[in-house]
Amino acid sequence: MKPGVVVKEGLRQSMSWVHTWSGLLVCWLLLLVFMAGTAAYYRHEITFWMKPELHKAADAPSRIATADAAALAVRGLQQRAPNASGWFIDLPHERNSLITASWTTPPKKGMSRAERRNAFRQQNFVLDPMTGLETAAPRDTRGGEFIYRLHFDLYYMSALWGRWIVGIAAMSMLVAIISGVITHKRIFKDFFTFRPNKGQRSWLDAHNATAVLALPFHLMITYTGLVTLMFMYMPSPTKALYGEEQNTMFGEVFMNAERGEPATKVAAPLADVRPMLQQAERAWGEAPTRIVVSHPNDAGARVELVRHPGQQLSNIEPSMTFNGATGELLSSTGAPSTTLAARGAIYGLHVAHFADPLLRALFFICGLAGCAMVATGALLWGVKERQKYAKVVAGGGKVGFGVRLVDALNIGAIAGLPVAFAVYFWANRLLPLDAAARSNLEANCFFAAWGACAILAQVRPTRGMWRFQLTLGALLMAGLPVLNFFTTDSHLGVTLFGGPALHPLAGFDLVTLALGLLLGWAAWWVGRKGLKRAGAKSSAARAASVAPASREAA
Amino acid sequence: MSMLILSGVALAFSGFATNSIVMDRHYADIHGRGKEPCAATRARLRTLGWLGLALSFIACIGAGGWHIGPVLWCGVLSVAAWTLVLLLQYAPRKAMLGAWIGVPGALLAIASLMLR
Repeated sequence: MKPGVVVKEGLRQSMSWVHTWSGLLVCWLLLLVFMAGTAAYYRHEITFWMKPELHKAADAPSRIATADAAALAVRGLQQRAPNASGWFIDLPHERNSLITASWTTPPKKGMSRAERRNAFRQQNFVLDPMTGLETAAPRDTRGGEFIYRLHFDLYYMSALWGRWIVGIAAMSMLVAIISGVITHKRIFKDFFTFRPNKGQRSWLDAHNATAVLALPFHLMITYTGLVTLMFMYMPSPTKALYGEEQNTMFGEVFMNAERGEPATKVAAPLADVRPMLQQAERAWGEAPTRIVVSHPNDAGARVELVRHPGQQLSNIEPSMTFNGATGELLSSTGAPSTTLAARGAIYGLHVAHFADPLLRALFFICGLAGCAMVATGALLWGVKERQKYAKVVAGGGKVGFGVRLVDALNIGAIAGLPVAFAVYFWANRLLPLDAAARSNLEANCFFAAWGACAILAQVRPTRGMWRFQLTLGALLMAGLPVLNFFTTDSHLGVTLFGGPALHPLAGFDLVTLALGLLLGWAAWWVGRKGLKRAGAKSSAARAASVAPASREAA
Repeated sequence: MSMLILSGVALAFSGFATNSIVMDRHYADIHGRGKEPCAATRARLRTLGWLGLALSFIACIGAGGWHIGPVLWCGVLSVAAWTLVLLLQYAPRKAMLGAWIGVPGALLAIASLMLR
């Protein structure tokens, strides 16, 4: 044997070990992150679905001009919060047909971060784009925002902790992807191969197909995900240049108005925003989509108009800043520096704000493939490890503790998480509208459902449990359009034939229906497998079906 | 634009399919156990396959520009490959027939690029 060959084999084997453990240790958390992230591509649509009170207003046949919409929102904000520290207005655009406004107040002394966030959640209102009047108050829900935050902040802990935990899982994932490519012996020969009903081989094929065929996506999403929080994971450069003054860095590098100059404390009424919007619309050839006013009614007020970045990857949105007191144009963002543009493109790739409906659907499908990759990888470990116990089990013994634990965690994550997501949506429709802290209650329902699934799985990690939880998930997911029919006026019968503003609602119902059918198929498949297993009576036959089939033997 | 995306998908599928049907395993699945393609066929179809993938890239760039186009292409490649994987397993002959979709795909791509 040549020495080179030995080294190559050694590398592959050691990478196989790295791949197994870097994947297995974080796979259940990764599944949560992947599922939430995949859903978060549609977070605005999910939020819209979860606020049925707004559906009628959004379907308005005609809209008022953008400048007038902005003026109406400003009037509402002047009435509610003339002394706010910041105003935020979202104007109607492609993915949002309503006018939404919110404001921040200077934090009171002794207020915790969570209290401030809860206070901010109450400080908003929605306007009907046709009449300009306030819509019926939507139910208290965080909608897709909960799922989006869950993706990187987790829940029931400070965002800082959540981000570190998710970050470590993501770093582990990056290691798993790279070591997985190295350890994959037949990456080109098996490129298009899927052989069903062959035990371990089939799981490996499925793991390879979902991983390799979307490898650009998986690598991109993991790496860019880490970059979105790079100032947290790699703080040294900032520390070296700015010391503890991180906010100064954000202000200088990102020209972030919110962290910009403080108020002058000299009162000055805010100038009319309409001429500003018209000026921006003339310069850009399209209307702004968002307005940020810092220190309204102060001599140092700034009005920042932002538009959608359009046909570019970067998530850096072009903006124009006006003096809020005089209404004169102060600055307009030109092309960002190369470094900033590069970071913007990397960040932008992760959040995919640039994606049109088709590309967004492709991202969503690749995200689902990511979930499948993590799930099949986790299952593969159990299948492989179980073989070591083939003889023990055949003799009436039990599998080891590790296999039992992994099996149970797999059921709780792979079959339990879809149940949790479905329960979150069911809770949105069924919880009483006047319940206190309703949005938190919805989130609690998510975790109660997931916790129940995880505990049940630990108690009885059996094939029957797989079937039960998959069936439950299927019924809950596929039942959502039915539930929608009984609890709202915007069910599939209406949304499929309604205006374009209602199409996201139809899309939501159809996707949950499809996911429900998929889970139902999985439950059926598990059940059929169980019958086959029971049919194979002799232990010899069982051992033969588990042993890896050799392709070359034929 | 949507015509270009459509032709991009067709070309990506066809490019992968053309490449795959001369791979040993899939060739044997289609033509019978133990059969192998001759070297000339293999080289010809491989060239055509890579040409299809290259054309699909051009179509995606045409549809989405240099910024979005490559991202679109990656997504299109993944979806085309998954379709092919299932087809090769459950209906391998259909995969071979399906490879022909690259011809109308190429014509459509060229036509839409020239008519721009």
